[in-house]
Amino acid sequence: MHIPENYLSPSTCAVFDVAMIPLWGYAVKKVRETVPREKMPLVGIAAAFCFLSMMFNIPLPGGTTGHAVCGTLIAILFGPWTACLAVSIALIIQAVFFGDGGILAIGANCFNMAFALPMAGYAVYRVISSRIEGRTGELVGAGVGSYLGLNVAALLTAIEFGIQPMLFTDAAGAALYCPYPLSVAVPAMMLGHLTVAGLAEVVFTVGILAFLRSAVPSFGIEAPSSGEKIAPAVALVAALVIASPLGLLATGDAWGEWGLEDLAEMVGFEPAGLATGWEWSSFMPDYSVGALPEAAGYIVSAIIGVALLVIIFRLAAGTLKPAVDFD
Amino acid sequence: MPGHGDIPGWLAKPQSFEPIHDRSAFATRSALSVTAVLRQLRLDDGRPSRFSASAPVKLALALGAIILNSLATNLMVTLVLLAFVLVRAALLPRRALARFAAVAASAAMLAALLALPAALIGQSASAIRLGLKALVSTGLAMEVALTTPAAELTGGLRAFRVPNLAITTIDLALKNIVLLGDCALETLTALTLRSVGRDADKSASLGGVAGTLLVRASRAAADTYDAMRCRGFEGDYDREAQVRLGADDAVWIAAFALFATMFLHLEDII
Repeated sequence: MHIPENYLSPSTCAVFDVAMIPLWGYAVKKVRETVPREKMPLVGIAAAFCFLSMMFNIPLPGGTTGHAVCGTLIAILFGPWTACLAVSIALIIQAVFFGDGGILAIGANCFNMAFALPMAGYAVYRVISSRIEGRTGELVGAGVGSYLGLNVAALLTAIEFGIQPMLFTDAAGAALYCPYPLSVAVPAMMLGHLTVAGLAEVVFTVGILAFLRSAVPSFGIEAPSSGEKIAPAVALVAALVIASPLGLLATGDAWGEWGLEDLAEMVGFEPAGLATGWEWSSFMPDYSVGALPEAAGYIVSAIIGVALLVIIFRLAAGTLKPAVDFD
Repeated sequence: MPGHGDIPGWLAKPQSFEPIHDRSAFATRSALSVTAVLRQLRLDDGRPSRFSASAPVKLALALGAIILNSLATNLMVTLVLLAFVLVRAALLPRRALARFAAVAASAAMLAALLALPAALIGQSASAIRLGLKALVSTGLAMEVALTTPAAELTGGLRAFRVPNLAITTIDLALKNIVLLGDCALETLTALTLRSVGRDADKSASLGGVAGTLLVRASRAAADTYDAMRCRGFEGDYDREAQVRLGADDAVWIAAFALFATMFLHLEDII
């Protein structure tokens, strides 16, 4: 679901980049108002769950791959605006360090996965959890919300891909950027996400939420800080890091994330905008670390990503007011 | 005694005194930089974590890792070290983490800035590589400083056959530097308060400020040294020099050996 560089026209990217600026601004304001300072490191750990879940590639029908996002999970734990910020930072780290998603397309990727996904997922979760009481209601709400949230994000991504050949063509009528129209992009994306990827999102969200509720009840914005150890949550992050090479078992690219040569082979021509567009060269492309074995490279990448997220949110805690008001 | 109507004319005359703008940039900027340095130094009481290696081992391994990072032509060596540095940083207390981030990020940005001409001629990878290497090396040095009490750090130097005199000097400097910073601040504040009116050449006071500090520094050092002698210090750090390796040290040394082997393999030496 990560839109790579040059699959969207620069003008499409600019629209989403500009649209995300006020959303990020509002998200920062809401986080400052609602998230207590001592909870910010926990947001970093939740963002790590999101980062790691996106590394577990799953084979989808049609020979492509997909992954969970866990945006709804963060929204349930810390609120939808905190999720918007946390998933955005995870996506920016992925784009800058690992070349997963384009730099110019950061606005579009964040709109789909960091804004639309947690907002939609959280809204559904609230409706269901208010009608079914107790832990069951929470978990059912989380499951249905995360499933619908992921599919809303996938649908938006498919639409963004699909409108490119309608809007941007050369004089001969050939697509400049993503060559697949809506009639291809929407069914291709949705088939995988309505089935396997959606299910994976449910498993990750409900599984992690159930684990946290039983092992670390204070992990979330609503539960008061009781000074209990967060070691089980850290252990889960470590386990996911070690298990992350499982994501390598799924071969093939995700839909819409092919290299230029693969795409040219499939459609019979190189879209001009894709062939000549600007591209950021990350130093750990595709979560690989040069000559290290793929699995080792994947683990090193996961460690760097998780550590960066925890550091960013712990530093951000320093900018928030302490819970005790000394005035 | 004059009544209300007998106010002297000169007193009734309205006055509007606006002091002319003083050139106090030297004093205020110096004060600001001294304060900034002090803020950094006041945090220098590093605290070891549960699995910390002993100070000499930590110093040796950090030095070895910095050397390997500098020698590495393969970016993977730097990336593996980066993973370690970031994980260790994520576990630091928040104030120490803020200090780590400020120093390491500044060093990385400075290194990347120095390599900017290379980026402009199409070698942006070199600028990123240099920035990463600076981040890792500075990060390692910072983590050693932030996780080791200053006294253990200077004591650990003895294991590397650093002369006693040098260690005593470093020890005294570390102990007095914060006090001297306070002295510098007081002197600069006094200078600002005392110079009324326009003083075009305030920086000429630099000699006075520095001289005062030098005198107070030598007095403070002499006093501290005398106090240390009175408490039985004979200028000998041999006791600290006895390195006893614990289980934690063995684990750290083994991890470093593994990393060094990976370095040799990636650099095609073995």
